[in-house]
Amino acid sequence: MNISEIDVITPRDVDECLNFLHLGEEMMILAGGTDAVVRMKEGKWRPKTWINIKHLHELRFIRKENNEIHIGPLTTHTDIVQSHFMQNHADVLVQAAREVGATQMQNMGTLGGNIQTASPAGDTIPALYVLGASIELRSQEGKRTIPIEEFYLGPGKTLKRHNEMITKIIIHPQEKNEIGIFEKLGPRKAQSISIVNMACSLHMSANRKCLGGKIAFGSVGPTIIRARKCEALLTMGELDIDMIENIAKVAWKEVMPITDVRASAEYRRDMASALLQRGLLRLMKRWDKR
Amino acid sequence: MTKHKDQQNYRLIGKRVPRIDGPEKVTGELKYMTDLHYENMVWGKVLRAKLPHAKIKTINTEKAKQLPGVLAVLTHEDIPGFNGFGIVIPDQPVLCDEVVRCTSDAVALVAAETEEIADIALTLIDVVYEELEVISDSEYAMTEKAPSLHPDGNIHSHVMIKNGNIERAFAEADYVFENTYYSPRQMHAFIETEGGWAVLGEDGKLTVQCPGQYSYRERMQIARALGWNPERIHVISSPVGGAFGGKDEITVQIYLALLALHTNGRPVKIHLKREESVQAGIKRHPFKVTVKTGATKDGRLIANQVRAVADTGAYASLGGAVIALAIEHSCGPYKIPNVDLEGFCVYTNNGVAGAFRGFGVNQVCVGIETHLDMLARELNIDPVEIRKKNVYHQGERSSIGHIVKSSVGTFKTLEVATNCDLWRNREKYKLEVSEPWKKRGVAMATSFHGIGMGIDIPDYGASTIELLSDGRFKVAVGCEEIGGGNSTVYAQVAAELLKVDIDQIVVVQGNTEETLDGGTVTASRSTYTGERAIAAASPHMINLLINTAAEMFTVPPDEIELDLNKLIIESKNKVSYREVFQYLNEKNKKTKVEGHFILPKEKEEIKHSGGAPHHLYGYLTHVVMVEVDTLTGETDVVRVVSIPDAGRVINLQGLEGQTEGGAIMGIGYTLYEDVLMEKGYHKTRNLTDYIIPTIRETPLIETFPVEEPEGGGPFGAKGIGEVVMIPIIPAITSAIYDAVGVRINHLPATPERIYQAMKKAKSNRVTSAR
Repeated sequence: MNISEIDVITPRDVDECLNFLHLGEEMMILAGGTDAVVRMKEGKWRPKTWINIKHLHELRFIRKENNEIHIGPLTTHTDIVQSHFMQNHADVLVQAAREVGATQMQNMGTLGGNIQTASPAGDTIPALYVLGASIELRSQEGKRTIPIEEFYLGPGKTLKRHNEMITKIIIHPQEKNEIGIFEKLGPRKAQSISIVNMACSLHMSANRKCLGGKIAFGSVGPTIIRARKCEALLTMGELDIDMIENIAKVAWKEVMPITDVRASAEYRRDMASALLQRGLLRLMKRWDKR
Repeated sequence: MTKHKDQQNYRLIGKRVPRIDGPEKVTGELKYMTDLHYENMVWGKVLRAKLPHAKIKTINTEKAKQLPGVLAVLTHEDIPGFNGFGIVIPDQPVLCDEVVRCTSDAVALVAAETEEIADIALTLIDVVYEELEVISDSEYAMTEKAPSLHPDGNIHSHVMIKNGNIERAFAEADYVFENTYYSPRQMHAFIETEGGWAVLGEDGKLTVQCPGQYSYRERMQIARALGWNPERIHVISSPVGGAFGGKDEITVQIYLALLALHTNGRPVKIHLKREESVQAGIKRHPFKVTVKTGATKDGRLIANQVRAVADTGAYASLGGAVIALAIEHSCGPYKIPNVDLEGFCVYTNNGVAGAFRGFGVNQVCVGIETHLDMLARELNIDPVEIRKKNVYHQGERSSIGHIVKSSVGTFKTLEVATNCDLWRNREKYKLEVSEPWKKRGVAMATSFHGIGMGIDIPDYGASTIELLSDGRFKVAVGCEEIGGGNSTVYAQVAAELLKVDIDQIVVVQGNTEETLDGGTVTASRSTYTGERAIAAASPHMINLLINTAAEMFTVPPDEIELDLNKLIIESKNKVSYREVFQYLNEKNKKTKVEGHFILPKEKEEIKHSGGAPHHLYGYLTHVVMVEVDTLTGETDVVRVVSIPDAGRVINLQGLEGQTEGGAIMGIGYTLYEDVLMEKGYHKTRNLTDYIIPTIRETPLIETFPVEEPEGGGPFGAKGIGEVVMIPIIPAITSAIYDAVGVRINHLPATPERIYQAMKKAKSNRVTSAR
């Protein structure tokens, strides 16, 4: 398919979009375009028709509902970064969104797009893991909600069927004693793809006693990896410098990265530990100040 | 021009003069040549070699030619003249006929109605190859076993310089340091990728508008391939969206010219996508440099042995000159009595390497500067002081054995380094780490860089000054504006010498019909040569103005005084330059003058050196502070002090532009940048994985110029363009050592390399632990 032959259609609402998706596999959704346009240029994504949903404003929202946060898939990274509500109740996702590409990418790129691209290095996904996110999918036949940890099958592969679209992301708001951090190691500070990234959200009690938490790594396996062994160790004792170092060392065993043009597998494994150590040190410094 | 000698009286020289091309660049009003669009335009595309080394068995273009919308498909058979290009030797085929030697090679050209049709047409060209052994290692290329890539073998050039008795000196030395250093394949990464336009006029004249670094030489290279009289070709090569040496060689000019002969007079455009620029564009030579340095216990360098091997890729371009300049500078600005230096420029199938800011000195400065840092630590001497002991002064003999007659500012730059805040208070600053697991280090290094061409190559400057109808002056200098700001320097110099305001000067550059051949914009030469060429032309213009006014008012010329923006006749009447023009125009007299000069050269070449020594050198000392994250190996350069001796500073703002841009490019070279290749293929494909510093990696950079004016020119300027990115390289690696105790000899010093080195150092310390 040549680019000049590709059509673009712009549905009026979600229902019309679902009708188009129902027509078949020659249609693909275009949201912010920060991945899609690059892949189109590379010749990888050349659908017969792009379904342009960038202006479906009904899918761009951040809402508190009951004890949940509902985020529309067209919410941009910048929307998340600038939301006071998110800063107070999903700090780890705000930090992750701030690390995506460059400002232009954050302005154009959407949370739904970052989820659907399913890159093992996607910056927002580990943060969504530790916030217990679920993905709402809709098709003409109805809707279903899938926990994010079940959503991913491998690099670029998800449970989403072709006639479905992401219509909502649901996360649990952080409680008062819950703090999170996103750590990214890239080849430079801005505009870079993660070599390794890590998200972590902890329930704390007095002093440095941790009541429990979640830790997820990106770019160290075919999908995001939850570090369940490290999580189990979080509650063993006060999170002092030695305890943090001990927990972080265990991360090395929980990941199985590859070697590529950006880094070796060996370095990535060490960096899983390093980022967890650095993240916990920074978190505890923040916790101590509260 | 003695009245200009006193700097205090200058209106413009040495001042902070804003760039004359600043507003149009900042607002985007300026159109680069690759921004232009013409009605009726045609797109050109280049088919690159699919394999890094292969025999071409057949090329079939029939299918591509039949595709609707295709105007022309060209192969080597369509080259009317000589099928080759290259600045020194034309060893690179314009379009390959028998063999491809790297994936930069071009095999066919297409012109089509749209860019997309041209792209599709490329896929329809059927080239049958027979794979040949790929040489991806320069040391292997030098062995008997390796197949020859060119008729004379794989060693394109071999240079050497020997002085004294190296063996005896090493035997007498109290300290000997020996290490091997590897340098990256740095990419110029200019914002404007290679591209341009060509059109065949109805008069049979070919116009090629293509950003370049030497319009006259580009015209000759095009003419050679076309078999045309060069006078029939008009090359416009300025302004340029960045070059840094990467547009010194032919980029797409010949492809454009060939296609323009087959598009029925329609203009044809080629503009490389970033991916093609990465694959096809020239890069900095990766070097392997083994350096052995001997010193006495009182801190004197007495011996230096260097063996440098440069990977020039498949073609020579300026590789021979790069290795020669590297060897000339491989001992630093010091007086080492015993030296044994040799360099090889070697062909491989790794793309093509050529000119790049620094021209080989970046790669070799690391060895000598690192060894000085080690020596200073061994002897517990201040690293600045140990350099002061070893530098040559004006009139002394350098390590390569010539008496340095031109100005030498190294010692002064070292004194400024000693006294700068960062160096004086370094122990205090090192404690101010941003997080407890980070460590800071401070280090310095010094280096130098030749200005102008080597001793073998003719080097000259030329300019014209024309009085325009509105009374302004058009100053035309061959050297292109490649972003360095030489246009502003030329305007300042002309305005100063002609005694007019700077807005009365119109600068024209890089255009074979508007400018004289004044050499290339390389070798840190364009300030020096342009300044002197304008200084050679301006007395002729002043004479023309004065004599004309004398004629107009029938007074003797000595009754006419040059005043600001005008002439004064017999101390009372004023005459404007518009009026002078009108008079000359009515009388059909010429309003344009020329100035020429030849660059001063040393008399004797150092045998086998390939062009050493230079007559002029610029000098620079860098002091840097880094902060290393011991958990990850990530390194920040947090502060830089740049202390150049560029002779008299013409424009302080322009100089800072160079010192700051150069420092950032040096940071990129040292910490981030490398085009990775494997078996002749590029693994780095575009700017996603080619990491250059952004504003977030840009530290505080302070510039303290010391001015050691050079006698030859009107104002005493030397050159600045390259040395600004050189000593920062070993300064950063030594600062990393100061911070965390590891030496990174394989650049770039990525977080992974630093981390692994720290890990190794740690495990070496606790070898008994399990």
